[in-house]
Amino acid sequence: MSKDKVLVEKLQNPALKDSAFSELLDMYQERLYWNIRKIVHTHENADDVLQNTFIRIYKSIGNFQQKSSLHTWMYRISYNESIRFLEKNNKKKFTNIEEVSRNNLEVLFEDEYFDGNEIQQKLNIIIDNFTDKQKRVFQMKYFDDLSFRQISEILEISESTLKSTYYTCVKKIEQEILK
Amino acid sequence: MKKSLKNNSNNIFLKDSFKGNLSKHHKDFLGTEIPEDYFVKSKLSILDKIKEEIKVEAEQPKKQMVFYMRPQFKYIAAASLVFILSLTVWLQNINNQNDFNSFNLESYALEDDVLIASLLVDESELNAFAEATLFTEVLVKAEVKEQRMDDLILNSLILDDSLLDNYIDFELVETVVL
Repeated sequence: MSKDKVLVEKLQNPALKDSAFSELLDMYQERLYWNIRKIVHTHENADDVLQNTFIRIYKSIGNFQQKSSLHTWMYRISYNESIRFLEKNNKKKFTNIEEVSRNNLEVLFEDEYFDGNEIQQKLNIIIDNFTDKQKRVFQMKYFDDLSFRQISEILEISESTLKSTYYTCVKKIEQEILK
Repeated sequence: MKKSLKNNSNNIFLKDSFKGNLSKHHKDFLGTEIPEDYFVKSKLSILDKIKEEIKVEAEQPKKQMVFYMRPQFKYIAAASLVFILSLTVWLQNINNQNDFNSFNLESYALEDDVLIASLLVDESELNAFAEATLFTEVLVKAEVKEQRMDDLILNSLILDDSLLDNYIDFELVETVVL
């Protein structure tokens, strides 16, 4: 049985839930934080969303039926929590990250926990100009270190499409940066 | 704070496959940072918040449900109810329509002059009209006559023998022949 499955069984057992949840935090806190941070941009916002995400995970783990992997399930929760947070903050309904990011990139550059040089700022802008799909695929692969199989499970897109999308993004970035 | 120079080198930009420290990778390529020991502090803060949530939930009185049903059964029950209601309405409509049609056609068929009545009937309903006429003319009238024959026999039992012949002659002529 995989490590995740054992962990889910413990999380679904009331007697072991709290200790298992501490283990879960050790394993996935950093990964989810960076996924959230790339959507909400600032550290302060990411911290809030991370807390909400884990509270939601704690409350709903009992209903998790393992139809997808634990990581995929938590990743989706963190994404939804991030979008919910931005909608609440902007008092507006968003349909995807693309729409959201336009408003928030300036906030990132002003964040006290952003220390990007010119090229790093440029990379943020290039990624921000990607389509929603391109952005998610590139970030998941390049920054979150997910495999194409995992990304395919999360986004429900075939691996071959993901690979071509990813390499298009890499090419675009290299062309823009090396201009 | 010292700026990262990692992606200033054209040769290595986005070429290395990433393995290892997520935070360092984000700092190197996106310039995003986190406070020192953030994940240790954040873990404690999340666990505290969860404890708080559990405490608050435990203090809140549970909602009393008068009638509980699992969601999947709720949908089935609602769908069945809608189906039964629509079936009832549909059946009622069908019956009303049939009653109306048969009443309408029989009223025509009961007319004395069937030929004139047939002119008023729509062509599409002509077959039904013919059947209704046949039914009225042959079956109903035969039934009525049979009843009258029964009456005649019963009455004849009551009459005196002397009057019987006359009675039979008179009633028989009236009932059967006329």
